[in-house]
Amino acid sequence: MKRVLGVALGILTAIGGFLDIGDMVTNAVVGSRFGLSLGWVVVVGVIGICVFAQMSGRVAAVSGRATFELIRERLGPRVAVLNLGASFMINLMTLTAEIGGVALALQLVSSVSYLLWVPFAALAVWLVIWRVKFSVMENVAGLVGLCLIGFAVALFLLQPDWGELGRQAVQGTSTATERVSTYWFYAVALFGAAMTPYEVFFFSSGAVEEGWTVKDLTRSRANVLVGFPLGGLLSLAIAGCAAVVLLPQLISVTALSEVTLPVALAGGKVLLALIILGIVAATAGAALETTLSAGYTIAQFLGWPWGKFRPPAQAARFHLLMIICLIVGIGILMTGVDPIQVTEISVVFSAVALPLTYLPILIVANDPEYMGEHVNGQPLNGIALIYLVIILAAALAAIPLLIMTGAGQ
Amino acid sequence: VTRDTENEVARWLDAQLHLLDRQVLDVNGVPMAVVDDLELSGVPAGEEIPIDTPPPVITALLSGPVLATRIFGGRPPDSRMERTPWAAVEEVGVVVKLAVRQETSDLTWTERWVRDHIIGRIPGGRHIPEGEQHDNPQNDERGGS
Repeated sequence: MKRVLGVALGILTAIGGFLDIGDMVTNAVVGSRFGLSLGWVVVVGVIGICVFAQMSGRVAAVSGRATFELIRERLGPRVAVLNLGASFMINLMTLTAEIGGVALALQLVSSVSYLLWVPFAALAVWLVIWRVKFSVMENVAGLVGLCLIGFAVALFLLQPDWGELGRQAVQGTSTATERVSTYWFYAVALFGAAMTPYEVFFFSSGAVEEGWTVKDLTRSRANVLVGFPLGGLLSLAIAGCAAVVLLPQLISVTALSEVTLPVALAGGKVLLALIILGIVAATAGAALETTLSAGYTIAQFLGWPWGKFRPPAQAARFHLLMIICLIVGIGILMTGVDPIQVTEISVVFSAVALPLTYLPILIVANDPEYMGEHVNGQPLNGIALIYLVIILAAALAAIPLLIMTGAGQ
Repeated sequence: VTRDTENEVARWLDAQLHLLDRQVLDVNGVPMAVVDDLELSGVPAGEEIPIDTPPPVITALLSGPVLATRIFGGRPPDSRMERTPWAAVEEVGVVVKLAVRQETSDLTWTERWVRDHIIGRIPGGRHIPEGEQHDNPQNDERGGS
């Protein structure tokens, strides 16, 4: 019974933890402009993150090595530092966006400018990292994040024309008013939002933090293979809500209030309150994950002691680094940049850094010296190779599309 | 590629694959550094090596703040590198395990400096997270080989 509860808890956490500000904003933007015609990208992205998150978790559980240690070991310092630079910058951008997201959600509730909430949000994130136990942190953020199921409830309450939504999803092409390049720009952005590298850094380092062993493999597989797809369904629900309410009215998503507008329309104050609570939890959870990931990547690359399972004094440089990242994040937000725009850009750059992150995981997952009998099977390698091609294509197309479309204008 | 059969289990070690850029752990499983270079015996730089000289042996692992030269090339002065004698190496697996304590090494002085001057001074900095004192997960008992 305890085992079943453990699996259930993990799955629930994965559902809530899958969605972050990047997923919410990108899905709402896409839904309001393209309906559900980009829904297939979410499906492709979710399968991809399942394949590689599961693989990185397995490598960490079997060999005790987290992803960025392997990236340096296998790619050498030159290529690894390129990846580190790119991942770290994206991480910092995502971190900034998530703290902005928490602050924006609090602004919706309090009518106090989000800029005033930013320092408190960052301080809260730091306090949790400083004091709260890893598993408690993960479970609370994930479980409260489940409130985002409200988006799915809202979609049903809106009583949409399901046939029309289905047609959009199957059609899978651009609407008449949007250019083809813009369509593909958002395809890359959605893919980047679903497969953000920090999820893999966090997942593999988290496996080391929680001391996973071979015995935990089934549980980790259940978390990923059930939790992430359900999280993906919530992404689609967000896009669906936007497609039903915002698309016909030609309302464009430029703020968090437009993301939640369909919910308020469908479910009134109660559902809106639930969703805002969910957004705060999901973005705060993601802020924790990105802050820790910033520390994990650099500490693992340079061979420092890291991890929340150590007292901060025994991972001093790791903790100092995270404090600096949070301060930089506050600084960026205080310049008054729009957190929603930071989010949109960060998911596109995520797509650029994907190949250098996922290739080393695949190589090591096939190395019997690390994995013993738990090396990848042939079918998994086949799927992973197909994904490497997709990832490479998305990475190469990301910057040209960004410039061509003027960031999707 | 340098090969070395010094290891007591008589296993082939590829210097590039098994040693360079590997994580180094101390005797308690605490990460210390990453292997940046190797010191070999009897290979004087710039001299012709006679045919019948015995093959070189790894005498020490070298680490240090030398990321710049690792990336852009060039050779830092020897004083930049911290030597760990090969005799102190306990095991080469998915990590390199040493038989020394990290507190005694100069490699980790920045860690100690940050601990003593910044992190250790913040309230709660030396607090041990309860319930998470599982066996050190970075011990390599779970290693595949």
